[in-house]
Amino acid sequence: MRTAPASAFGRLWQNERFLSLALVTPALLTIGALFLYPLGFSVISAFSVEDSGFGIANFTKAFDFYSNDILFTVIIVGISTVLIGAFAIAIGGYLTMGESPLAVSILKWLYRWPLFIPFIVAGQMMRTFLAKNGLMNNMIVGAGLLDPSQTTSFLDWRGIVITFVWKQTPFVALLVAGAMASLDRSTIEAARNLGAGRIRILAQIIVPQVRPTIVVGLILSFVVMMSVLSVPLMINAQNPTMLTVDMAFRINTYGDYGVANALGFISYAMTGFVAWIYLRQGVRQGGAP
Amino acid sequence: MNTTQKAAAVVFEKVSKAFGSVVAVNEVSLTVEPGTLVTLLGPSGCGKTTTLRLIAGLEMPTAGKIFIAGRDVSLLPATDRDVSMVFQSYALFPHMTVLENVSYGLRVSGMKKKQAGEKAEAVLAQVNMPGYGARLPSELSGGQQQRVAVARALVLEPQVLLFDEPLSNLDAKLRRQVRQDIRELQQNLGLTTVYVTHDQAEALAVSDSIIVMRNAEIAQKGSPRDLYEKPEDIFVADFIGDANVVKAEIVRIDGEQAIVRVGVIEIPLPHRGLTPGEVDLAIRPESVQLSNGAAGDALAGEVLKATYLGGHIEYTVATPVGELFVIDPRVHMMFSPGGTVGVSFAERGVTLVHP
Repeated sequence: MRTAPASAFGRLWQNERFLSLALVTPALLTIGALFLYPLGFSVISAFSVEDSGFGIANFTKAFDFYSNDILFTVIIVGISTVLIGAFAIAIGGYLTMGESPLAVSILKWLYRWPLFIPFIVAGQMMRTFLAKNGLMNNMIVGAGLLDPSQTTSFLDWRGIVITFVWKQTPFVALLVAGAMASLDRSTIEAARNLGAGRIRILAQIIVPQVRPTIVVGLILSFVVMMSVLSVPLMINAQNPTMLTVDMAFRINTYGDYGVANALGFISYAMTGFVAWIYLRQGVRQGGAP
Repeated sequence: MNTTQKAAAVVFEKVSKAFGSVVAVNEVSLTVEPGTLVTLLGPSGCGKTTTLRLIAGLEMPTAGKIFIAGRDVSLLPATDRDVSMVFQSYALFPHMTVLENVSYGLRVSGMKKKQAGEKAEAVLAQVNMPGYGARLPSELSGGQQQRVAVARALVLEPQVLLFDEPLSNLDAKLRRQVRQDIRELQQNLGLTTVYVTHDQAEALAVSDSIIVMRNAEIAQKGSPRDLYEKPEDIFVADFIGDANVVKAEIVRIDGEQAIVRVGVIEIPLPHRGLTPGEVDLAIRPESVQLSNGAAGDALAGEVLKATYLGGHIEYTVATPVGELFVIDPRVHMMFSPGGTVGVSFAERGVTLVHP
């Protein structure tokens, strides 16, 4: 049987390669225009030197002025990440193995609230809560545990860590609890049957099985915390502070985009390192990360 | 390993378990003698798995008492009972090697790693899995995973071993082999074993005793032979193997015997507490005997269907008391559909049943 020759447009349209390219083009253009171009521009700017073209002068200045802040940022975000992991595992573990249905329901209802509160609101809440004459100290003084003169402000590195942990734990707990809920429950019952207590089951049976999800949740959290400006600005803008505050300061005070971009590049290198771990994790799982 | 000395009796005294308003187990009383294999058999939702979980301590009874080796364990958590369970899905820990899986219970009990590993290796050899210790569960076949699950349960030398539908994930051929292995292991070690299944053939093959459950209660308990040949009621008769249930009449009671009329035939059967009048009669397919043409002391039948199955022939025969399903081992002679046959009954496999 002979068929009528297809039109040029028809042939083109039938070409799968063209179709798939047409489908992916808007996404590629968006990534290119809104991500790759600004990123490339900022990297070039970071390595640009006014007189001699390219060089590392901005990085030298960034390390001279802000090496303490770089270290401070890594420590703050690192401690927060560890604490978020511990709390998320504890919440997920209780939701999976808790024996009081009422307590499980209350926890399930409560723990997600911070997810819906923006960082800047969380920062403001913590200013009110953690200040020397804030709500927390007032409660402690009211309970007769401390004199007003003995109270101290938590509006320093501890405040940043508390805010990050409070804000990010629900996100990781949501992922981890979901992964724990999808485990084969008989493995938990088998461990109980073999004599293991709840803590041991959590540590030896549940956590190893959901480790990829925990790692992914913590890495995403790490990246978010690295990029938050409002929390360190509101809670602890004094020295040392986080890199996001330094970047804002270089731009707003000096219009120094070169050093700001160098600091941005350093932040990006840190998050890039953990993103590499994240991607490697995705490949190991055999699916899209 | 000497498990025989540890084998213990399991006793239920009017044990009930409710989940909200749903009663899963209702006032069940039973005894599993030391060193025997008892099967809990019944359809889905009858309460057999809940009963098993009550023994394991994975569920707590709402009422009643459970004794293991004479000790009241009713409210004792699973971690404090000397009971090991093989789960339906095997429940192997996927992130641990076979050796780590098998030695896990020993490590939890505080045994040193080396000693636990040696003991685990010995039990793996016992279930014909030597040399598999370094593999992950995902690298094993279903049958091998099942053996590892058994080894993990056995290594603790439990007082009671529990199996929750252990063969349901295996293909038919492997199922036969594994059930023989389980029975052999249980007999060699003299383990008290409770086995849950909904497969009556599996239950008949492996059990010392069978407990048939229906709607959260025990319908009947006894030896496989008793249950097959003397089912109490229509449910048990129908659940344990195939049964033709026909209407008959007790003409008179003569001592322990009832003279039962089925069509034109009168047969003596144990009366089982039934009185003269209309009754139900359960007849096993292999207890229906076919002969050429209608004889005087046989029912007249017409062959509706005949299926040759190699080892036997299956017939559907229309008779005055209803259609009968017949299994005839005489494969050398075959009655053709539409032909007339005489239908009589063997001495065994015919019993009066309660409605």
